[in-house]
Amino acid sequence: MRHDYIDRYARLDSPVHRLPAPLKLALALALVISTVVVPFSAFLYFVACALFLFSVILLARLPISFVAIRLLTLEPLAAGVAILAVMQPDGLFVLIRILVKTNLCLLTMVLLANTTPFAGILDVLRSLRVPPLLITVLALMYRYVFLLIDQSERMTRARKSRTFVPRRGSRWKSAAGIVGQLFVRSTERAERIYAAMTARGWR
Amino acid sequence: MNMLEVNDLSYSYPDGKPALRGVSMHAAEGECVGIVGPNGAGKSTLLLHLNGILPEDDSRHGKVVVCGDRITSANLHEVHRMVGLLFQDPDDQLFCPTVQEDVAFGPAQFGSPAGEIDRIVRESLAQVGLEGFERRSPHHLSGGEKQRVCLAGILACNPSILVLDEPTSDLDPRGRRELTRLIRGLPATRVIASHDLELVVDLCSRVYLLDGGEVVASGPAVEILSDEELMLAHGLEKPHSLQHRHPHP
Repeated sequence: MRHDYIDRYARLDSPVHRLPAPLKLALALALVISTVVVPFSAFLYFVACALFLFSVILLARLPISFVAIRLLTLEPLAAGVAILAVMQPDGLFVLIRILVKTNLCLLTMVLLANTTPFAGILDVLRSLRVPPLLITVLALMYRYVFLLIDQSERMTRARKSRTFVPRRGSRWKSAAGIVGQLFVRSTERAERIYAAMTARGWR
Repeated sequence: MNMLEVNDLSYSYPDGKPALRGVSMHAAEGECVGIVGPNGAGKSTLLLHLNGILPEDDSRHGKVVVCGDRITSANLHEVHRMVGLLFQDPDDQLFCPTVQEDVAFGPAQFGSPAGEIDRIVRESLAQVGLEGFERRSPHHLSGGEKQRVCLAGILACNPSILVLDEPTSDLDPRGRRELTRLIRGLPATRVIASHDLELVVDLCSRVYLLDGGEVVASGPAVEILSDEELMLAHGLEKPHSLQHRHPHP
């Protein structure tokens, strides 16, 4: 099984995909920062921002359903903070403000990730003199997150195939087991990866 | 001259469990040597010693001799370059986001000039028959392709000794056939650990049979692997290709 739903469309061919990675990264960063900084009273800015991002989706030929699902999976994080804001005076207004701002930022990042191959982003970071150790960590994370997803899915499937009477309690218990197993296997793999890196001269 | 020598090597895991007891072996220049044995015999542990990944404790190096020099903490980096190690699980070895970066990793670490690296990567990929794979990411490759990229990453360091741990365990018959052909064509001294005994018969002139961390038998591959009693006693089987062949031709 292969997993590429994190950046499934990063290798498409479209005008947006063809833009140089440094430009896209700079633009995305600028957009995120200004979205955070611009006061909410400048309502037109946010409308323009949304329209711009929407046209990027169309131009990049990304399926809208895909972008929507990616956004929804990230929503709990935004919603969690936003709901806490309701408690304060004028809460509803703050809630809307937080939701609009975070969603625009998230959308920007989802679009960046799906129009730029990760290796391209790393190249930009490298040329910006981000510490090499940080880049190595990011590269390793990107390389192995797919393997982790794969492994957890295989384990979940194996558990399902041997669960005859599903009960909530036992499900939680085996989920905890899977998390533990994943942790142990990941540390073991980390040791093997380190050995493989050393074998090719890492020090 | 012996490219590789192991003299009376013993090793225990950090938890105290002995893994190797007094292992001695050697490989001559250009030779292809097999290491066979059941699971848990200590094959992988032995291989990790051959390029100095083990023992963890630097002061305990010195039982392994590479190209006439004992491994010490001082020459460890050079040993890593001279002895290329292919790990059992290609996913452990392909740790970079693209094939290009992965194959370039070794040469970059060993200080090849930046202008050279692109050429080395191209040549190494061509050597394993994967021209034009530079921009692919490892998680989009088949098992056989992954294994060959791993091999390219090692060949890029230009090693004089290749140490391969179960190179065919994840491969389908076609991938296995291609890898066998590749390994056979390499000029380097090769050490192959495997329970794929057909592969060992096919490629290796001599074998060491390892069980319980000890060398139980060693000699010409055909002779050792045809000894049915010996094979069964150590969790192996006489390979099919030797079933009807006399051990002394």
